[in-house]
Amino acid sequence: MIQLRKNYSLPEREEEFVAIKIVSVGGAGLSVLDRIVLDGLERADVVAINTDVQSLASSVAPHKVQLGRTATRGLGTGGDPELGYQAAVESAEEIREALAGARMIFICAGLGGGTGSGAAPYVAQLAREAGSLVVAFATLPFGFEGKRRSAQAQEALGRLNEIANAVICFENDQMGDIVAPKAGIHQAFATADITISQSVRSIVNLIQRPGLIRIGFDDLLAALRSRNGRCLFGFGESDSDNRAHDALAQALKNPLMDRGRMLGDATRVLVQVAGGPGMTLSEVEILMQELGRHVNEETQILFGTAVDGRMGDRLSVTIVSSFTADKDSIPQPIQPAQSSVPAMPPVWAQPQDASPKIDIEPEATPMETSQPAETMPIEEPAPVRTSRPQPSMPHNPEPRVSTPQTNPVPMKEGKPSPEKNVQAKQEVLQFEPVTRGRFEKSEPTIVEGEDLDVPTYLRKKIKVK
Amino acid sequence: MASSNLIIGLEIGTWKICVVVGESRPDGAIKILGVGQTPSRGVRKGEIVDFETAMKCVHEAVVDAEQKSDVMIRSVYVAVAGSHLQSFNNRGSVMLPEDRDEIDEQDVEDVKINAREVSIPAQNAFLHSIIQHYHVDGQDGVLNPVGMLGQKLEADFHIIHGVRTRIQNTIRCVKELPLDVEDVVFGALASAQVVLTQHQKELGALVIDIGGGTTDYILYADGAVKQSGCLAVGGDHITNDISMGLRIPMARAEKLKIEEGNCVLGNCLPGEAILLKDDSGFAGKEIERETLNTIINLRLRETFELLKRRLEEESFINYLGAGIFITGGCSLLNGIDNLAEEIFEMPGHVAHAQTASGLTSAVENPQFSTAIGLIKYAQAVQTDRPRRRFGGVLGKFFSGMR
Repeated sequence: MIQLRKNYSLPEREEEFVAIKIVSVGGAGLSVLDRIVLDGLERADVVAINTDVQSLASSVAPHKVQLGRTATRGLGTGGDPELGYQAAVESAEEIREALAGARMIFICAGLGGGTGSGAAPYVAQLAREAGSLVVAFATLPFGFEGKRRSAQAQEALGRLNEIANAVICFENDQMGDIVAPKAGIHQAFATADITISQSVRSIVNLIQRPGLIRIGFDDLLAALRSRNGRCLFGFGESDSDNRAHDALAQALKNPLMDRGRMLGDATRVLVQVAGGPGMTLSEVEILMQELGRHVNEETQILFGTAVDGRMGDRLSVTIVSSFTADKDSIPQPIQPAQSSVPAMPPVWAQPQDASPKIDIEPEATPMETSQPAETMPIEEPAPVRTSRPQPSMPHNPEPRVSTPQTNPVPMKEGKPSPEKNVQAKQEVLQFEPVTRGRFEKSEPTIVEGEDLDVPTYLRKKIKVK
Repeated sequence: MASSNLIIGLEIGTWKICVVVGESRPDGAIKILGVGQTPSRGVRKGEIVDFETAMKCVHEAVVDAEQKSDVMIRSVYVAVAGSHLQSFNNRGSVMLPEDRDEIDEQDVEDVKINAREVSIPAQNAFLHSIIQHYHVDGQDGVLNPVGMLGQKLEADFHIIHGVRTRIQNTIRCVKELPLDVEDVVFGALASAQVVLTQHQKELGALVIDIGGGTTDYILYADGAVKQSGCLAVGGDHITNDISMGLRIPMARAEKLKIEEGNCVLGNCLPGEAILLKDDSGFAGKEIERETLNTIINLRLRETFELLKRRLEEESFINYLGAGIFITGGCSLLNGIDNLAEEIFEMPGHVAHAQTASGLTSAVENPQFSTAIGLIKYAQAVQTDRPRRRFGGVLGKFFSGMR
């Protein structure tokens, strides 16, 4: 434990505030944004971007940008991504202004419609040009919304994937699983909004919260990196007696999580446990043990923990992960990644100026430029690397054109710095072993935050000899 | 029918599985005919974790009981425990129609249903709804409202519920033997039937049933159940603590606890040691007596303090006239009543089944309180059923299961 203390974040780091902006593009994004604002988020700015003046006017977001004053004249795009793109280009200057000054930008967009599909990639591009790190939260339309809409959504998702640092993609069809079959369609959409809002807020908190074991943006990117933007995401919160267990169970219940089954295939899982001052070490340990049952032995766990006075009695778990190589290849045919984009007939005219941008933005380059800003020391953990079980592969200069199956492997080796960091942090996480003896495999008895299976004298730190 | 009636109680405990065969006499007396028991395996914290093994153990215990009592066992009453069991008090109320003011049995039935219309978690099932008191037009403390005149009938119920699948696990384990399950009963509720007399229930009493894996408790005040629950801490935990603290195997720790353990500190000589013999009978390790007692004391103290905090959430604990009754296997630990007295600040007694005759060795052992209690419980329910008579505090019990 004392050894842990050495690695506590330095006080000045705790003071640090990462300027974050949450930007919504299009109607669906707007409703998510409204939900985020209504749920309360004190540590980020929000910007609403849309072509439709009416929906903008009714939004609660404090900062609004109207797209395409001449292209759409304050109306929507009518589901035409081309029009959405033109509108965004027309208002490029306003968007730039709105995005200025943020170190990180979250873009929420519902793909498939006009503004979301057309403008979101362009907004992401402007954000990247401004030097921000971009994470996109995209929703794919319901299956019943038609093939054309979903083709438009896939096209846009492919482009977002190229531009943004990370894409977290929610399928509306999956959302159906968490809504009761009898629930109204309105409720189904609302649930989707709530889920996404929760994800955004928990990721903002993940980064903003001063952590005992801090999770940096590099950790987040490492966990989210995937070829097709398919991420596993879970968030749970509980204040019950058995809150560690309950919070984890809730996190695994998330529609993107499939009750933790998906976790088995993940190569890297990021976990943050946050709680009030009452959070105990044994709770965290139990939680991590339980999570350990869902992940593979080889899976690398990026662990972070934070104590936040505002949490009160609650304990929250955030799990973020991406699919692995073989899982990646399965949706490949339906999901055009950038390499296959030119081969597919474009659903709408390919905006010409966006394509060259891709070349100057391979993921590794911006990461390196952003690295010093993210305050993660690169050189310090270098020796740890030698202890890695897997031999490090030589840097592959052209990972992106290789086949999807082999892609993620060089990807994860290509950027060793955040990973090594994590390795170092993992080392710190060697908790003092708290044994439960005979009750090792039974359900833990946790009352008032204490694991009663651990001998009382150990918990009360009374020497018996 | 004047002839007596055979009732079998089965308790699947964490340490032992016991089957008690009892005879219910028409005059209300209970005679214990035989007790079968086996050490339990595959049970942790009062719940079955290894189905096959637990089933074998139950089978052995049933066969044992059949041999000893010379009775063929077909159906049993089963006690359940486990930390998933929860309880609360709720009031139901019904208004009588305008043209009628005599309360009949249907109204009593309705108010019962009404009281159960509370939300419990979806995966939970009702285990017991125990009547506390009826109120007729605001008149308190009515025991049997049938035949009374009034417009509004209200009833306070103590409701115990638990996770359906976990309760069903226990039932399935018995049904696969195959035996019929007459009813499932919360362990402490059964124990209280034999540990407490009616008078003690009226005065107010707390029954703590400390078994191998769980500590069940039930609090009576004014003759009615007011609070109940289950804490998944029991004698197993003490043994485990000893085993880890003194670095000795579990089996030896268990023996040491039973033979030498004491919950009270400060009554042994400084440096007094217990000599542990190794397998060959030669002198092995020496253990300081105070160390052993400290480990036991700390664990039990903590458990009692937890219970006290839980019970203090409502005010009934301050009005217990009869005190605390500790039963279950763990109550055999020396000095446990003194420790309970110290913490709860009221008289503490180690209690065993009071109201049964027959095999005295069984009746006087607190380990069998629950199983014998099941028989008493069953007797009360059975006399109640045919005549719909309101029988004391027990009233009628639903089984929310099956």
